[in-house]
This record gives sequence, C-alpha cells and structure tokens, in this order.
Amino acid sequence: MIAGIIYKRALSDIRQNLTNQAMTILVVTLSMLLLLFFALFSFNLRHFVEELGSKLGIVVYLKKEVPQESIPALYKRISELKGIESVNYTSSEDAFRKLKKYLADEQQVLEGVDATFLPPSFEIQIDRAVFNIERIREVAAELSTWKEVSKVQYGQEWIDRLEVFSGLTQRALVGAGLLLLITTAFVVANTIKLTTYARQDELEILRLVGATNMFIAGPFLLEAFFQGLAGSLLATVIVYATTQYLQSLLSQHPLFKEVELVFLPLSYTAGIIGGSIIVCITGTAISMRRFLKL
Amino acid sequence: MKYIDSAIVKLTDVSKRYTVENLALHRVSLEVQKGEFIFLTGPSGSGKSTLLKLLFCAERPTEGTIRVDGMDISTLTPSQIPMLRRRVGVIFQDFKLLGRHTVFDNVALSLEVLGLKTSQVEKRVREIVANVGLIGKLEQKAIELSGGEQQRVAIARAVVNRPPIILADEPTGNLDRDRTNEVMELMEELNARGTTIIFATHDEKLFENTHRRVVRLENGRLVK
Ligand SMILES: Nc1ncnc2c1ncn2[C@@H]1O[C@H](COP(=O)(O)OP(=O)(O)OP(=O)(O)O)[C@@H](O)[C@H]1O
Ligand SMILES: [Mg+2]
Repeated sequence: MIAGIIYKRALSDIRQNLTNQAMTILVVTLSMLLLLFFALFSFNLRHFVEELGSKLGIVVYLKKEVPQESIPALYKRISELKGIESVNYTSSEDAFRKLKKYLADEQQVLEGVDATFLPPSFEIQIDRAVFNIERIREVAAELSTWKEVSKVQYGQEWIDRLEVFSGLTQRALVGAGLLLLITTAFVVANTIKLTTYARQDELEILRLVGATNMFIAGPFLLEAFFQGLAGSLLATVIVYATTQYLQSLLSQHPLFKEVELVFLPLSYTAGIIGGSIIVCITGTAISMRRFLKL
Repeated sequence: MKYIDSAIVKLTDVSKRYTVENLALHRVSLEVQKGEFIFLTGPSGSGKSTLLKLLFCAERPTEGTIRVDGMDISTLTPSQIPMLRRRVGVIFQDFKLLGRHTVFDNVALSLEVLGLKTSQVEKRVREIVANVGLIGKLEQKAIELSGGEQQRVAIARAVVNRPPIILADEPTGNLDRDRTNEVMELMEELNARGTTIIFATHDEKLFENTHRRVVRLENGRLVK
C-alpha cells in the first residue's frame, strides 16, 4: 500500500515540477549523448579494425625446396586449422605469371630471370564468423613454426597500429565515461538538493505527521529512476537516428560506400541505460541522505 | 518497552539547554494521566513550546527522561521517531499546512503515512472534515482559507488518525472569541472520547472557569 502512495506522490510531484524535471532529464540526456557518441566511435573503430584484418587474410610463403608432391598434404593441414574459411595455393610459376601481368609494359626487367624465383605460397582467409585479431596471430604463429614455411605475412603492422589506437580510445572511453557519470550524479544530486530546499516546509510537515524516511524519499527515488530512464532512452534514440542518417549519407558517397557504420550492441546500450538510472538514483539518495539527517 | 503506569506522559528532571547561556527548561518533572486535559501556561519565553517539542521529539532533552505512551523517548533512535509521531497529534500555532494543497490532501497526509487504503483515507477524512465544519471547502487550497478555517484543518489533520495524545501549542492564538470557542469545543469533544490533551496557551481566559488542571511555567521552571 505504501508503494502505491509513493507512486501517486511521485506522479503528482512530477506534474507540479515539470520544468525542474525537464531540466534534470535534459542534463542526463546530454551526458548520455556524449557517452553514447564516444562509445559509438570507439566501437566502430574496433569494428573497422576487425573488418580490415579479416579482409587482409594471411599469406604463407613456402621454402623453395618444398617438393611439389607435399603441396596437397600441406593444403589439407592448413584447411584443417580452426576457423579457416578458404585456402588458395599459388605456385612459383603462377606467381611469376601474375607478376608479369602486373608489370605489363615493363616486362623486360624479368628477362632471363628464372620462372621459379618466387616462392610458392598459400593465401588463407579466416572465417568471418569467428574472426578476431588474436585468432589471426595464433594461426600466423603456428604456421611460422612449420618446417616447410619460410615466412608468414598478415599485414601485422597495420593491424597492430590500429589496435593500439583502438585500445587507447577504449581506455579513454572508460575514463571519460566515468567522469561523465560522476558529473551527472553531481548535477542530479544538486537539482534534488535545490528541490528539497524549495520544499523543506513540506518535507518537514511530512516528518511531523510521522512519515518514515522511505515515505519521504521514495517519491524522489522513483522520480530519479524515471529521469535516468527517460534521459538515457532519449539519448539512445538520438544517437541511433544519427547513425542511420550518417549511414545513408555515406552510402551515397562513392568513396565511403564500403564503410559500414554499426550501432552499439544491445549490451552496450542496456549498460548505459542501466548506468544512467543507477547514477540518478545514487545522486538523489546522496542528497536525500543529507536532508533526512540519517 | 511497554511501561505499566497510568501516566501517559511522564517527565523526570528534564532540562533543555539550547545555547550555553539559554536554559529553556530547568529540571521539570510532570505526570499527565491517561484521558486528562491539562493547560500549560506561562509568559512568553517561559518554555511552553519547548516542553511540547520534547514530547514529539522535535527537540531532544539535555537532561532527564521522558516517557510518552509507554515509550522512553529520551533514547528513541531516528528511525523510531515516526512511530512516536503517529501516536501524538500536534496542533501548531502557525498551522503548518501545505498551502498549495487542498484541505483534503492536508488532512489525508496523516493517514497516507500509515499506508491506509485510498477508500479508507477518503472516508475518514470526509468524516473528520465534516466534524470541524469544513466539508464544503474540502477541495479548496489551504492558503485560500481564513485563519480560523486553517486552524480547524490543522486540528483535523492532528486527530484524523485518532492518536491517544494531542499536543496543542496556542491553537487559538490567532483566532477571535467565537472561533476560539469552537476550537475549545472540539477539544472538549476529543477529550470526552478519551484523548489525552496538553494545551499550551498564555490566554488565562481559556481556563479561568475550568476544573482542569493548570500547569504553570516561569523561566523554564514549573511553579504549580
Ligand atoms: N530553536 C531555538 N534555539 C535557541 N533558543 C530557543 C529555540 N527555541 C526556543 N528558544 C528559547 O527558549 C526559550 C523558551 O522558548 P519557548 O518557545 O519554549 O517559549 P514559549 O513559552 O513557547 O513562548 P511563547 O509564549 O512566546 O510561544 C526562549 O528563551 C527562547 O528564546
Ligand atoms: Mg511557544
């Protein structure tokens, strides 16, 4: 029964202090917007690095002395590694032909060169579904220990660099996120403090007629829940709409046609909404605690 | 915790010091029996309000022990105070109403904090508001009422949850003779139903023809 009355009081309270409520929700929305955009940027960077990595694939160069007969067996061994999507063999001759074609008019530089001077190689594509950079590294490391293999390449420098960058932004995201959440808690706490000051008489009267702390603080906590939820939902909707809009712009542009913007996964958004609610309730609880003289 | 005693309020050597130089109450001992109606009087600044405030824990005593309705309130923890206040109805000289809220809302407050059902709250509020003669103004905002009407709303709020004890701090201080008499009648009625009443006033006329006990404070000391 007390719960019902607390709910009723919260509702009438919201109706009576609409401006205040709107201001608080606005502050929550703005902080959550910043947080979401930052998360979105970091998440897309990560996504881009993985995409790039999976497109690059792995090239395994064999030693020249590896006999032709052992190629099928090697092919089989590579295909049987975990998470491999496709394997393509390029013989020395094929490689020579490709190079010739590539050089086109400048072919004369290859005159007198042995057609087998290029090493034979395997091109490996990692299965996209199970792709991650760690897996590429593992496969590459494993392959380079094989006695038939002379060299393994997977665009590691690019990936390593991008990965360091994406790791940095991720850490910056966590830091900035914490700061933003703390700021939000402060602002919400302050708003509630102002509200409680403005309504000190009312709360005092409630106390005099025997209201428990829960009865007094309950409506404020419920309001905080609504504020946290509304603010973060609003921010999520805005960021989602912006992502869709940017994507439609990008897909019209010939240069960026291939670039895919992804929205945050459900777990991220749920986390941010949950965090926003917790922060608002915590801020309110801190203000109320001081006021209730617990 | 329950105290077997016919005294519903009992102060033993109670002192209250607000500041170093200001001693508002000095070793006051007082017993009020269940169902009694006593007047607490004395000049301005003698400590009447302070004594009442101690009884509902708006202030805590500097020394001494206080029992109210079986509870030792000198040792009450903050979380137990709401329980005491539901047993003690307080009527303030300045009413302490929610001005922007209706008469109904103001009176209902005492019942809502108890967690009563809406239908029950409604029934009891209507009953008591009719009792103080304000049923026609149930939906009017408190701030739009006259002083006498506001005082009656304050009384209705104090008694709607049927507390065994009523503390009234100058409830007639702002009222004319007719309104004062109405309030006094309400108090007599409540007392007739068994409510213990402690009535603080400096208006001698209110008790000059009464058989009620009159307790007098002077400079924070009990003189009679
Ligand atoms: N909150 C307070 N802080 C400091 N001193 C106080 C406080 N409340 C009351 N006093 C002092 O305590 C003394 C008793 O005050 P109290 O209000 O109890 O008197 P009273 O008998 O109710 O007077 P009145 O008839 O004018 O209402 C006065 O000297 C007053 O100044
Ligand atoms: Mg007084």
